[in-house]
Amino acid sequence: MKILIIEDEPGLAESIGAYLTAQDYLCEYAGTWAQAREKVELYRYDCILLDLMLPGGDGMDILETLKKQGQQDGVIIISAKGDYETKIRGLHAGADDYLAKPFHLPELAARIYSVIRRRSFGNHNDVVQNELKVDLLSKTITVHGEVVVLTKKELDLLLFFIGNKNRVIAKSALAEHLSGDIADMFDNHDFVYAHVKNLKKKLTEAGYGNYLKTIYGTGYKWEG
Amino acid sequence: MGRMKKLLDQSLRPLVIYAFTVLVISIPVYFLIIDVIWENELDKHHYAIREKLEKRLTRLSLPDTAVDNMINVLDKVQPGFSFNPTTTPRPDSLYTIIRFDSFMHDREQFRCLTTDIRVNHKLYRVLIETNMEEVDETILAIGGVTAFFIMLLLAGFIYLNRKTALRIWQPFYDTLAGLRTFRLETGKAVPLPASDVTEFTDLNASLDTLMQGSLASYRQQKEFTENASHELQTPLAIVKSRLDMLLQSQSLDAGQMRIVEQVYQAINRVSRINKNLLLLARIEHSQFEEKEPIALDETLSAIAEQFSDRFENNALHYTENIGPFTVEANPVLTEILLTNLLVNAVRYTPEDGEIRVHLDGGVLTISNTGAGALQTENLFRRFAQASDEHAGSGLGLAIAREICDRCGWRICYDFTQGMHRFSVRF
Repeated sequence: MKILIIEDEPGLAESIGAYLTAQDYLCEYAGTWAQAREKVELYRYDCILLDLMLPGGDGMDILETLKKQGQQDGVIIISAKGDYETKIRGLHAGADDYLAKPFHLPELAARIYSVIRRRSFGNHNDVVQNELKVDLLSKTITVHGEVVVLTKKELDLLLFFIGNKNRVIAKSALAEHLSGDIADMFDNHDFVYAHVKNLKKKLTEAGYGNYLKTIYGTGYKWEG
Repeated sequence: MGRMKKLLDQSLRPLVIYAFTVLVISIPVYFLIIDVIWENELDKHHYAIREKLEKRLTRLSLPDTAVDNMINVLDKVQPGFSFNPTTTPRPDSLYTIIRFDSFMHDREQFRCLTTDIRVNHKLYRVLIETNMEEVDETILAIGGVTAFFIMLLLAGFIYLNRKTALRIWQPFYDTLAGLRTFRLETGKAVPLPASDVTEFTDLNASLDTLMQGSLASYRQQKEFTENASHELQTPLAIVKSRLDMLLQSQSLDAGQMRIVEQVYQAINRVSRINKNLLLLARIEHSQFEEKEPIALDETLSAIAEQFSDRFENNALHYTENIGPFTVEANPVLTEILLTNLLVNAVRYTPEDGEIRVHLDGGVLTISNTGAGALQTENLFRRFAQASDEHAGSGLGLAIAREICDRCGWRICYDFTQGMHRFSVRF
């Protein structure tokens, strides 16, 4: 899977690249508008991470060019502009997702995973991991062929873990993912623990191995 | 500062006092002058009569007895004259007396001349007197006339003051009215009326400079907040992503993991403050102008639903009583307002406490258990409530209030029966 990271801040681009490379993605970088433009015209990517404020131009132009040419690359806008209008504008222009800075890398990875799955697998969108099978379209989970009923939050959590296989995820990243807009208004993320515990219990009861690990009580890791 | 006075009355008062004083002083002066003229004229008249009398009697060349008879007749008949034969000449005497006059049946004032006339070498003492106006009556008349003129002057002053001064000062009042409508938030200076008077033109020019200056610094301050927040987003994003990477390191032990978690918390708090500062700047920039009808009850329920985890986790008892209500407003702002109020309630309610949401007839009340009343004056100010204990951004209520101000809603706080209560009237 090829990812293009269009981001002018080297520090951030490097972190994103390092995180995604460990996820077996192939990452390329563009630090300026001109570079981004060139790469986008020459190569195809499974997903493009697009910063809007670039040296040399507006990232939105690149998105518009892509869409005008009918390219199928998935696009996730990553921008410091977190306002509603820019978000709506980006999504209208054809972006698959919009992530406001600052964000957690696991959140980005989960979104990339979701965008790529949606684009590449059409109707046969199953994720198989050991004894676990997830039908992303109908949102059904089976372990050893038996259906496990999960709440919306638990399913959300499971998909998040799958999108961040073998990575340590901070509790605050999970909290942010689970509670959306209001996540960053609180410092207490204990509720994450309850959801993870329930998910783990349901999967274990259905016969799934102990792949979901707690790291020192502050982080989680899905081993697959 | 005592009672406020109007400018026009200020200028009128000394004028009135001065005119009044001058006119009051004029009363005795008039009297004295009239009196002096009056007496002078009478004295001259009396001397003339004396001369004529003496000359005419002498020219007749009558014998002494005839003269005596005639003078006797004159003394009896001619009003204002009395004659007495005398032997030793005495100096003339001029004086004024007030006495009862039997003919007029009243007190009367007379100007008198006592003098000697000589007819046929015989000396007569003559008293000539003329009735004149009494002092008190003269003063009364002058006083009356003066009072009349004072009234006339006063009326004139007031009328002219109203008419002329009002017209002269009109540009000033126009400027004042213009200044009253000046609001920094609008970002526009108020156009001040043009005037052909130098002072007013100068005043308006200075005021305009002042307004432009205030606007510029207000704009700069807002831009600074917005730019600073914007600039902070990127380094924050780097720190956050670096932490996510750090977490992947195999060699982290429990203590280091805890440190990372603490750094996450601090970073989240900075992001939160930053995000809210940006939001405030955007609200102030009027970036949320579009309005649409919003079913407040549905929005409220949907937002409250997001909090269910928090209610459960903090063992909070949540009850809602939401009646249908639709409001014409900006959806983003409305959501932020409702979210902030709920966040506030969740954040400050102790474990096992209670949160009640009530929406009825355009009044939303969110109450939560609390220990004691909060200081209302600081409650809605930026960073006034931020405490380490609760780690809020210190901006939630400031934003709530800003939104209410923008939308023309009214937000207030009170504390009753152990509950903090925030209410918004839509």
